[in-house]
Amino acid sequence: MPIFSYLAIPRKGAREALYTELSTLQYCQAMPAENQDIVMLITDTPDADTEKRLQQRLKELPSLQSLSMAFGYGEKNDKGEQTDHET
Amino acid sequence: MKLDRRQFIKQAAISSAFATAGALFPGVSFGEWNSLANNSGVISWQKTPCRFCGTGCGVLVGVTDGRAVAVKGDPSCSVNKGLCCMKGYHSVQALYGEDRLTTAKVRKNGKMVEVPIKEALDLVASKLQETREKQGKDAIAMYGSGQWTIPDGYVASKLFKGCLSTNNVEANARLCMSSAVTGFISSFGIDEPMGCYEDIDHANVFITWGNNMAEMHPVLFSRMLANRKQRTNVKIIDFATRHTRTSLAADRSILFHPQTDLAVANAICYEIINNGWVNWNFVNEHVSFKKGKTNIGYGTEDHFSFTEKEESINFDAFKEFLEDYTPEKVEKVSGVPAKDIKYLAALYGDPEIKVTSFWCMGMNQHTRGTWINNLVYNIHLLVGKISTPGNSPFSLTGQPSACGTVREVGTLTHRLPHGVVMNDKHRQMAAEIWDVPVTNIDPKPTDHTVAMFRSLDRGDIKFMWIQVTNPMVTMPNLKRYRDGALKDDRFLVVSDVYPTPTTDVADVILPAAMWIEQEGMYGNSERRTQHFEQIVDPPGEAMSDTWQIIEVARRLGFEKQFSWSKDNYIEKIWEEYRRFHAGPKHEMAPYKVLQKRSGVQWPFVNGKETRWRFNPKYDPACTNGKDFDFYGKKDHRACIWARPYEPAAESPDKEYNFWLNTGRVIEHWHTGSMTRRVPVLHNAVPSAYVELHPEDAAELGVLDGEKVKIISRRGEIIMPAQVKGRGVPARGMVFVPFFDESYLINEVTLDAYCPISKQPDYKKCAVKLEKV
Amino acid sequence: MKPHNPQSRRAWCAAALGVAGFCVLAGPGFSADAETVPSFDNQAQKIFSALQDTPNANLQAGSWGRNLNEYYKLRQYPGSPPRIPHNVDPAFNGDETNCLSCHEQGGYSPEHQKFAPVTPHPENTLCYQCHTKETTQETTQVTPQVTAKESFVANDWKSIEPPKLGRSALGGSPPPVPHTLQMRENCVACHTGPGAVVEIRVSHAERGDCRQCHATVIQTAPLKTFSRE
Repeated sequence: MPIFSYLAIPRKGAREALYTELSTLQYCQAMPAENQDIVMLITDTPDADTEKRLQQRLKELPSLQSLSMAFGYGEKNDKGEQTDHET
Repeated sequence: MKLDRRQFIKQAAISSAFATAGALFPGVSFGEWNSLANNSGVISWQKTPCRFCGTGCGVLVGVTDGRAVAVKGDPSCSVNKGLCCMKGYHSVQALYGEDRLTTAKVRKNGKMVEVPIKEALDLVASKLQETREKQGKDAIAMYGSGQWTIPDGYVASKLFKGCLSTNNVEANARLCMSSAVTGFISSFGIDEPMGCYEDIDHANVFITWGNNMAEMHPVLFSRMLANRKQRTNVKIIDFATRHTRTSLAADRSILFHPQTDLAVANAICYEIINNGWVNWNFVNEHVSFKKGKTNIGYGTEDHFSFTEKEESINFDAFKEFLEDYTPEKVEKVSGVPAKDIKYLAALYGDPEIKVTSFWCMGMNQHTRGTWINNLVYNIHLLVGKISTPGNSPFSLTGQPSACGTVREVGTLTHRLPHGVVMNDKHRQMAAEIWDVPVTNIDPKPTDHTVAMFRSLDRGDIKFMWIQVTNPMVTMPNLKRYRDGALKDDRFLVVSDVYPTPTTDVADVILPAAMWIEQEGMYGNSERRTQHFEQIVDPPGEAMSDTWQIIEVARRLGFEKQFSWSKDNYIEKIWEEYRRFHAGPKHEMAPYKVLQKRSGVQWPFVNGKETRWRFNPKYDPACTNGKDFDFYGKKDHRACIWARPYEPAAESPDKEYNFWLNTGRVIEHWHTGSMTRRVPVLHNAVPSAYVELHPEDAAELGVLDGEKVKIISRRGEIIMPAQVKGRGVPARGMVFVPFFDESYLINEVTLDAYCPISKQPDYKKCAVKLEKV
Repeated sequence: MKPHNPQSRRAWCAAALGVAGFCVLAGPGFSADAETVPSFDNQAQKIFSALQDTPNANLQAGSWGRNLNEYYKLRQYPGSPPRIPHNVDPAFNGDETNCLSCHEQGGYSPEHQKFAPVTPHPENTLCYQCHTKETTQETTQVTPQVTAKESFVANDWKSIEPPKLGRSALGGSPPPVPHTLQMRENCVACHTGPGAVVEIRVSHAERGDCRQCHATVIQTAPLKTFSRE
């Protein structure tokens, strides 16, 4: 039951649109930053297949420029591991 | 996987994301309201009147961590009993727009430069002094607002009238309520409604005269709806020039041609007399009849002047005067079927029916605004339906403190806190309370608002200080006044909270504290004064308007008259101001009482509010021993005025064949500088439009959303059309809301005004339309 | 199950209503001046007539009823016309008075053991034009959404998330209307009374003009931010 959190960077000027798009996705919870053009995203899917499909959906979002994972907990792991930051 | 472990992991995910964000973007904040730093969820609630309309709802503002975070209706406030409208519920969000003015700015070499506010205040004082010395005492002016708090207006009046000896003090209430005032003074000799909102709980028939009450005084309107639902014999009748939300809620909707409200009101009086519905007991004891000048002009020329000449007449002369206003004759000019006129008259005439008439801008923003106010009072006076619960000609106020500040403190060219500058005794009283020589107070009024901006244009006024209003959007025939303000040698100081088209033309911008960022009082339509503490701090260097004036006054050498300390200056100002209103006709509650209660009505006599005036059952100021005492007039009688129908200043003709009407929508307040920065309100109505009747749109070949050019003799503007949206104008009329500064509709309107009140008519001028 | 004729169904409902303690009366309410006032502002007169005509008892909330999940189960996307979840006689001839006999004013139906939802658009009387009938075998249960097994050919239809609740701008402030008003002009029909969906039920409808407090900000439209040009 994968749980991930990300920093989502929108395309230029599209922070609000990105926030709206993310908010409407199932299994997603989004929170925009007040003073920067980034949106925090937490995903919580019931199984690996759904997770894969969600990843695909995220990649296709028109207002998303890049997605930077901050935390990942997959089915195989027993402990939450903080993966490396990407910039 | 257990639920709590999942939650824990999710929390860890969120914290990681926060940490990552913080590392990559130092100073980033995720400001959801429920995740404020240090937010323990504890909110403190403090009372204040709402920032917006003249209903004067009491609200409770919730504060956490120094920020306003929520709003509730104040259940202890009798005005609204815990209910608000969408503007009130989101009002606190207006404090936090991104482009809030937090620093003073001064124009140097054509560009606005940030300066410490002390420096800006120094400049204001020195420029004021310099202008005064070089050009004369009347070359300076103060233009304030019905959204000024009472102390704001009081110190402005004291400084300019009492210390600087100029009567160039005006406020934007001249543009919204002055016809109501002159209506009161000519009919009753004393200002402000004689009834109160409790009338709504007693009336059987409500008639709205040219005001879209469902959108403009929504909390009062829903109280009417609730009464109609709970009681069996309540009707709402909408009498207007276009169909609005109010028409849809009303039991009957009757349209009239613009300006012909004058004729219809007279026709109703004709019917009342001819059907024998006159309340003779009342009329014989309490009414006198008068007539004034006719053919009184429209004020479109500079230096226009008008002096009334009143003449007493008798009932027979009044009856004869009304012979021109039979329902059949009036049907021809007004478009109102004679049977509808008779229907309205029968409601007023039936002694078993309690009638409350409500009006606002439709009757006040009118080139015969004073007259139409008189005429509706005439109707109520002929049948004696006044000053008793439910029988109420009620003049609604638009702004939150046009009553409290502009009318009661007297921030108009001819006024003083008690009385007028022309009156020796009144000047004497002001001089005494203000501690200035009586010779300081100029006995001659100078300019009303339109004249003041004309003087600025001509150069007779060179320095103007504008507070809490946006005349570069709201002045009618706007281009002239904006060009005037931009001329060389004019020095404009603007105190405001956000950048607006008015701050755009300023030489000095002073950042102002907004609403609950300063302590103050407002006075609403039903004579209720409401106090509010300073609930949150103003941002940056923003300073309350009251204190700005005090700072400048001290720099001008008037420390003695403005000696108050920052700790308690509002209390001290109130106690000083109260002295002007001592006596049972106008007594104001002491500061401590205002602090505790959610609003106190005046007159406040021996600890009791006077809810209905002129009626000895409720009003201790009555002295004539009769069942009514209209003590505003020397003969203790109210006046019925014979006022004729006269056409509008500029009616549609062959070339300019449409009426242009302007007004508001519920979502936005005035020029939108506050409400457009509230996300919910901005998204509900993001931009302005021009309403067309569907048949007119079809003839023009215009669909909903397509562009239309509106052209008058003064200017033109291109706007998107709205067909069957918020409102439907009558055929041959268009309506434009004025909240959107990117559509300056006032470039198209006409600066004609009522010669008695000097209030411009924003509801009527002639335009033509073109499909773009 | 044989349909009762409208008369006796109404009689049964009325008797049952007495038992349930809710009283549905066709009161003489007001109607906006239909001859002279055109229709505009999203047919706002519906709000005002509904407020006037709906008895106080039906403006209250209750603890019983269908939830959002059930509500959306009958719809293919937010705003789509719901399927009819109960049986109607295959020979049902589409006479609208049969539908409106329960769905115009709501009330308890002992046959289905539920409170009937009130339609916000009773003036559209050809109900079957938009609301499809069940075609499965007779059952009094709400049938689950048609699964892949029952489709002619499988399809991967997905839609947007329905509007989220509780999107007040401030804690406690009146949430904006998140849906468009077309076909849903009458707030009282869906948000009040025992037939209303539990999560969106309100108990304060008697306050008057809903849109005095609730601004219309469609949740599926991008949020606009203000800026001076």
